[in-house]
Order: sequence, then C-alpha cells, then structure tokens
Amino acid sequence: MSDKAEVTQTQEAVEVHHGEHDEHHAQSFWRTYIFSTDHKIIGIQYGFCGLAFLFFGFCLVATMRWSMAYDGQAVPFIGPMLEAMLGSNVAPGGVMSAELYNVFGAMHGTIMVFMGIVPIAFAAFGNYVVPLQIGAVDMAFPRVNMASFWAFFLGCVVMTVSFFIPGGAAQAGWTSYSPLASMIPTDGQTYWLIGMVLLITSSLLGAVNFLVTIINMRAPGMTWLRLPFFVWVQFITAFLLLLAFPPLEAAGILQLMDRVLETSFFLPTGLVVGGQDVDVSGGGSPLLWQHLFWFLAHPEVYVLVLPGMGIVCEVIANNTRKPIWGYKFLVGSVVVLGFLAFIVWAHHMYMTGMGTVISAFFQTTTLIISIPSVIILTCLFISLWGGSIRFNTPMLFALAFLPMFGIGGLTGLPLGFNFSDVALHDSYYVIAHFHYVVAPGTIFAIFAGVYYWFPKMTGRRMSEYWGKVHFWLSLIFMNLIFLPMFAQGMAGMSRRMSDGGATYSLANPDNADITVGALSDTIMNLNVSISAAAWAMLVAQVPFIVNLFWSVKHGEKVESDNPWQATTLEWETPTPPPHGNFAKEIKVYRDPYEYSVPGAKKDFSPQAQPAK
Amino acid sequence: MEIPYTVKPRPDTGLYNGKLGIWLFLASEVMLFGALFSSYVLLRVGAEDGTWSMGLMNITVGAGNTMVLIASSMFVVLAWAELKQGNLAGYKKWKWATIACAVLFLVVKWSYEWPQKFKHYDVWLNDAKLLHEKFEKGYQETVSHAEGGNHANDHGDAANGDVQKFVETFYTKRFFKETSDASQTAFKQEWANGTLAISGHINAYEEAQINVEVTGWNADAGASEADADRALVELGVSVEEAAEDLRKKGGLIKERIDYDWAKRAEYLLGQAGFKVTLSVAGYEKVEAHPWFWRTPRVNEDIGGNPRVRSIVLGLDHTHHHDEIEIETRHISRLSAYEPKHSTFFGIYYTITGLHAAHVFGGIIVMLYNMLPIGLALWHKDRERFTNRIETFGLFWHFVDLVWIFLFPILYIL
Repeated sequence: MSDKAEVTQTQEAVEVHHGEHDEHHAQSFWRTYIFSTDHKIIGIQYGFCGLAFLFFGFCLVATMRWSMAYDGQAVPFIGPMLEAMLGSNVAPGGVMSAELYNVFGAMHGTIMVFMGIVPIAFAAFGNYVVPLQIGAVDMAFPRVNMASFWAFFLGCVVMTVSFFIPGGAAQAGWTSYSPLASMIPTDGQTYWLIGMVLLITSSLLGAVNFLVTIINMRAPGMTWLRLPFFVWVQFITAFLLLLAFPPLEAAGILQLMDRVLETSFFLPTGLVVGGQDVDVSGGGSPLLWQHLFWFLAHPEVYVLVLPGMGIVCEVIANNTRKPIWGYKFLVGSVVVLGFLAFIVWAHHMYMTGMGTVISAFFQTTTLIISIPSVIILTCLFISLWGGSIRFNTPMLFALAFLPMFGIGGLTGLPLGFNFSDVALHDSYYVIAHFHYVVAPGTIFAIFAGVYYWFPKMTGRRMSEYWGKVHFWLSLIFMNLIFLPMFAQGMAGMSRRMSDGGATYSLANPDNADITVGALSDTIMNLNVSISAAAWAMLVAQVPFIVNLFWSVKHGEKVESDNPWQATTLEWETPTPPPHGNFAKEIKVYRDPYEYSVPGAKKDFSPQAQPAK
Repeated sequence: MEIPYTVKPRPDTGLYNGKLGIWLFLASEVMLFGALFSSYVLLRVGAEDGTWSMGLMNITVGAGNTMVLIASSMFVVLAWAELKQGNLAGYKKWKWATIACAVLFLVVKWSYEWPQKFKHYDVWLNDAKLLHEKFEKGYQETVSHAEGGNHANDHGDAANGDVQKFVETFYTKRFFKETSDASQTAFKQEWANGTLAISGHINAYEEAQINVEVTGWNADAGASEADADRALVELGVSVEEAAEDLRKKGGLIKERIDYDWAKRAEYLLGQAGFKVTLSVAGYEKVEAHPWFWRTPRVNEDIGGNPRVRSIVLGLDHTHHHDEIEIETRHISRLSAYEPKHSTFFGIYYTITGLHAAHVFGGIIVMLYNMLPIGLALWHKDRERFTNRIETFGLFWHFVDLVWIFLFPILYIL
C-alpha cells in the first residue's frame, strides 16, 4: 500500500472520529478544565494539588526545624504570621509551642504521605501516563476518575481547614494512636478522621479504575509481558491501595465513634484522664488501633515507593539506550512484593510486648520482603552496565534514586530485627531511614518524572541548566539533612521532641549526673546543621518551581512528538495528547524497551512499530 | 469517544469493564467489613469475663430480616433475568419487590430494633439493700406466673437467697451465657456491693415543673430597656402592665414550665439583662420513652431540687415487664443501650450501621435505575443497561452476604 493511501486512510479515520464527537466539542471551560473526565486533565489536577501540598508539608517541617535548633526563640518571618493566624496560645510571641510542634508534626506526616506523594506518584503520573502507555483512549471509568479527584480535593480542604479551627489540627501524630487520639479534646482530630475517610475513598475509586483500565483496556498486542514496568508498578500499587486502605477506613470510623459517640473501641477499662476516671464503658484495645493502622500503613509505604521505581526504570531505559536488564525479574519481584507487603505490618509494633513466636513470624517476613526490593534495585543498577548514558536532568535524578534508596533500604534492616529495633524504635534513626527511601528516594523519582514527561504534557522542555542546579543542590542538602540523623538516632535521640532533645542533653544542668544516654553536644549541634540544610533545601526548590511554571510558556519547544526518542506508547501521541489520545489505531508489536536492537535503523524501536 | 469493553466483554478476560470493576470494589469491601469483623473478634476475645453483653438481640426479628434480604437477593436476579429477555415490565416488577424488601429491612432496623435499644436502660443504684428490694419485685411476679421464671420449680418463698439465685441466672445469661465459677464469683461480688445494674425500659418519669422568676435588672449588662421589653414579649408577658415593675422589683415570669422551656427563658432573660432564678414548683409524671438519657440529666438540679425526681422502669427480668419506681437520688449512674453503653453495642451499631448505609445506598441506586432518568439508558443501549443491573446485582448480593455473616455473629453467638 502506498504511503499516500495510508495517510489518506489515517486522515479519514481521524475525520470519522472527529465527526463522531463533534457534538461534544462545545464544552465550557468548567467541563474542560475543572470538572473534566479526561485522564490527562485529572492527572494534572492531582499533580498540581499534590505538588502544592508537598511544598506546604515541607514548610511545616521547616518551621519545626527552627524549634528543634533554636527552642524557645521566635521563628523569624513565620512566627508573627503564626501568632496572627493561629493565636497566642499556640504561638506566643512567634515562638512555637510544644502543642503547635505536635500539630505541625502530625500534619507534616499526613500531608506528605496522603496529600503529597500518593496523589503525585500514583494518581498524577498514573492517571496521565498509564492509559497512554497501554494504548487506551482514557481510563475505564472517566466519571469515577473525576469523582476520585474531587473526593481527594474535599479531603484536602477538610485537612487544611482543620488548622484554623479552635484547638488546631490533629496533633496525635500521623499514626493517630489511641487512647490519645480518641480522647484529645481538639476537634482537629475529628477533622483528621473525616479528611482521611475522604482521601481513602478517593484512593479506592482510583485503584478500581487503574486495575480495570490496565486489565481490560490494553491495546491489541499489548500483552502483560510487554507492559512498561511503570504500568506494572501502578498495577501492583493499585492492588495495595484497594486491599489495604479499607481496614484503615474501618479503623477511622471506629476512632470517629470513640470521639463523637463516646464508644470504647480503643479505650481500655480503667482509663484515667486528668486525674479523673473516664465515664465510658471501657473494654477496648489500643492495640487494635495499631494493628488496623499498620495493616494499611505498611502496604502504604510500598505505595509510596513503587511508582517511583517505575519512573526510574522508564528514565534509565531511555537514557542508557539499552533494554532494562532482568525485566522478568522486575515483574516477578514487584508481584511478590505486593503479596508480601500484607504480612509484615507488625514490625512497626515490636515494642508492644508481642510474644516471641509472633515476633519471629514478622521478622522473617520482613527480611524476606527485602529480597524483591533488592532484586529490583539490582536490576536497575545492572541496567546501567554497558549503556550509552545521557546525563540529562531526569537521568540524574533517576541515577541518584538508586544509591539513596539503597541507603534507605539497607538502614531498614536493623529495624526489621526485633533485637536491634529495641534500641532504635521511635528514634531519629527511623526518621532517617524512612526519609531516605521517600525523600531522596521517591521525591527524586517524582522530579525525574516531571522533567521527563513535561515535554509530552506541554510540548516544551524545562531548562536543563536550572534542572541540574536543582538536582545538585537537592542531592547535597538531602544528604546533609538525613545522614546525620542516623548518628542522632543511634545516640538515643527520640522522635517528636519539640526542643530537639534539649531536655535529655548533657548540656541540660538537670542531667549533670547522668553519664549514659544523655545527648552529647555534638549530637545536639547536629540539630542546627540539619535545620540549616533543611532551609537551604527549601530554597533549592525555587529554581524547580520557577522552571516548571516558566517553561510552560517559554521553554524550548520540542522538535517532535518523541523528543527523548523513547520506545513506549505515550510518545506516539500528538503533543500534547488530545482528547482520545491517539491519532490512529494503536497496535503493539514489541517489548517495552527495544533500544539498540541489532540491525535496526535507529537506536530505538517504538512498541507500535511493526516488527520486520 | 467510545470507551472499549463498556458493554461487550473483552475476549481474553471475558469481562466487561463494569463487571470487573464491581468485583474489585467488592474485594475492597470484603477488607472493610473483614476489618470490622476482626475487630469484633479481637474485642470479644479480649473482653474481661462478665463484661460482654449477650442474649440481648431479638433473634426472631434478626432471622426475619435475614429472610427478607435473601428474598431481595432472589428478586434482584429475577429482575436482571427479565431484562436479559428484553422484558422491561417484568424487570420493574421484580425491582420494586427488591426495593420493598430493602425498605422493610431498614424499617425494621430503624423503627423497631434500634429504637428498642435506645429506650432500654441499665440503672446502677447507690444502695445495695435497695437494689435487692427492687430486684425482688420482679422475682415475685415471675415466680407466681404459671410458665414462670426458670426457678418456679426450685423455690417456694421469696427469701433473699432465692431472689439471689433467680437474679444470678438472669444476670449470667446476659453476660456469661452459662454458669461457671467466673460467673458466680462475679455475680456474688456485684450483688453484695450493689454494683449490679437493674435493667428495663424507662416508661415514665417525674419531671420538675419550673418557675421562672426575675429578681432584678442590671442596667449595665449591655442590654437596653427596649431589649428587656422585647424579651418579655417573646415570653408572653404583656409589656404595658408589668414591664417596669418587673425591671425594678422582679416577679414571676413563667409558672410550671418544663426544663427546656425554662432554660430558654433563662437564657433570653439573661441576655436581656435580667437576673433570673429558677425554682421547682412541683413534679409531674410524664409518660414517655426517654432516649439517650445520660447520668448528668437525672443529676441535674434546679435550686437544690432534682430535675427528674423518679423514674418508672419496666423491668427486664419480669414476664410482663412490671414496673417499679426508683427515686433518682438513689441512682448513681444510668445508661441507655446506645453506642457508648458497652463495647459490644459499640461494635454492633457500627457494623450494622455501616451495613444499613450500604442497604440505603443500594435503594438509592435501585430507584435511580427505575425512574425515567435511569431508564433512559434502556432506551439508548439495552445491553449496557442490563449490564448495569447485573453489576448492581453483584453489589446487592454482597450486601446480603455481609448480613448473613453478621446475623449469626452478632445475634446468635
């Protein structure tokens, strides 16, 4: 068939499509951009909301770091603002009170996890990229998709509003342990529960959508083992969300009833608050909350990290110009990881007095689950070998992900063993460990994804120069923030101390006769350097934010629909992809990472390109 | 823009999108209710002996409700089958039957089962001897009844020990299911120190009738004379005659009104700058079923007199729920069988409440699919509409299945 005939056929196909939905074209601004059912718009909505909250969550902890480094001193710039907005009982004279520190701490965790990382890594990138990568026209349930975003948005509103009600937002930690969370009189705790129910609902709707889309809407020829690894991780992440979130929703309902209807699901008999017996029926169990919470929260950490691994895989394959090493290992590992994620949760509860048999079970499963993670990381590392590496900004972030996640993962091992966890539980070591996996881990992967897919979404590139500035500053400051925390944790510094541990330091005259366990000056001084690095890290995000917004209108225009010369299907669409995504019928002929195929004309063979 | 496999199943999976979606959603629902059931098990197993209420659920009503739901599941399938054969009228018939069953289920729950519990009270007295006396009343009645309490055969007279045995059996059934060392020890202790609760329905109570008096008016309270007059008018006092007198010398504003009225008058008058005194003029017996009363209400006092002087309790442990009167000064604590009452009731209301919410949601969806707004799809795309009903049917079966687990676990075990 001649080229001309092909083109005419394609044009006809496009015209037919246009004809079919000409009636839909006259959509108002609101239906197109605000209440849209298009997965790309929804993805961008999630992305912007998520990035905004990621930044807000960071600002919360930046304020907390002042309190840790300079306890008792008024916070510069922010202090007067806090006092004006939140009142003098929580921020007297611009100084952060311990209650406010707890509020910020609890909300930092909640916001970063549920309103920052999950919406960006899973909902934003997943919504935008997954239908494109499988060759679908949209998600399976576009209206459910829209509902999921607006439920998320409502949840965010409730959480944000809770800061401004009398008593302030939740302050019982992102883990919201009872009896404190059940009994604390601030309404903010109730708002937190309501907000969580909304956020969970949003994730459940999203998860169903992702699963049905990936199972049922793959283009012809897109078999399971031809799926890009990014789609595989989103698939498993969706399963984790689908099955792990409901127990937390149940727990949230139970804790809500404890607060509002004065039940005693999590309140033990004989509870005394403020010197007085509490007039409730008792007979509940604080441990029940912990089990229900961690049953979700452990799979949740895999929800946080898997999409990041997917993004890193895409970027590495593309920028090494070679297929990923061990694709089948990756797929197998991520599936096994998904299953194992459900049976390790009590390693967060080693200090609750559990028996040795149960403890042994969870230690075993926890150690076993490290294996698939290591396999994934190893495959990604080995993929670099012999590659023709392009060191652009997305690749830099993806490369940094590997050792950073490696550090995070390895430092998790002492926490997985009961005997060592005894010393490290609830210390700064734990904070360092999980931040390494999420912060220079997932967040770097998110940055990689933003720089990588920005040209597809906008038709322009982000500035490479400022991208590299952003990268180097972030990498350096991330490590300056979190590396010393390992030392602090091993020296015995506890989490959640608003004075940075001053009460327990050697410098405190009350501790003059304590020789073992008090925090040395070196350890305490690290608080200052860590805080300084945190503030510098905040400033280092400015180039990214400016770059992001500026490049939408002024970035260098891309020369083709596939500026990175990638193989996956999302690069087959027009740029930016229109409603319906693909200009022609998509059929898949190849594996996802056919780079540098011997004998091929170019160093990449797109999935939709027929095999000879 | 056509979303593929919305109606026609995908060849390799054999499922259309909606069916796959609902099965996945149901998987998450299994986890949700599973978490609640697990919580139930953990709480029950962890409950101290004698603290878990048993045998308080009406098994007959529960069983009836179970049959109603099972029937509704059958009807929803018949409705879908009719649609598959293209018979809209048949579909409507069976769908109305399903809705009727669902509504009946909820009505039984909301208008009978739950309200019964909210009127049901446990009352703790502060006097052991009085406790024994009150329990004895029930015993006499029951023993004299032909079918009798379980102990009509064992005892002859109403010596204290026999009342004790009678109450012990009653109490054991409620918290232990059968006699054991634990139940006997627990009972003996609570009987002896009077911390056993007497239970029944509060059928009536003596409520204070309150006089509202003003004893003066504070000109600097921030309210003007006009405000004061307006407050009086609102309370039905004619202004011309007495307004100025009331402000200068005080006087009776309202006579023998109930507590809520009196409190409102107190608030209004207080806002208007008056100094208000409430006093009890007398008591009136009110026939009613108080819901959600809590201990503070019976302890509230007005000028040294209680708001509620006595309650009339229809006893649980007697055949005809015979009534006794208890003065509130002898009550140390009372509690309706509300979520706060015990952990069993807490989890009972939570699980059945969440289940009822699912039934209610199902009714809304069914109505949508019956009204012109939903039926529009039948006229546009029959197969897609039929699939929608099939998808709903799967959801409905799940809701029924949850109840089938709920009923034995909460009602029977």
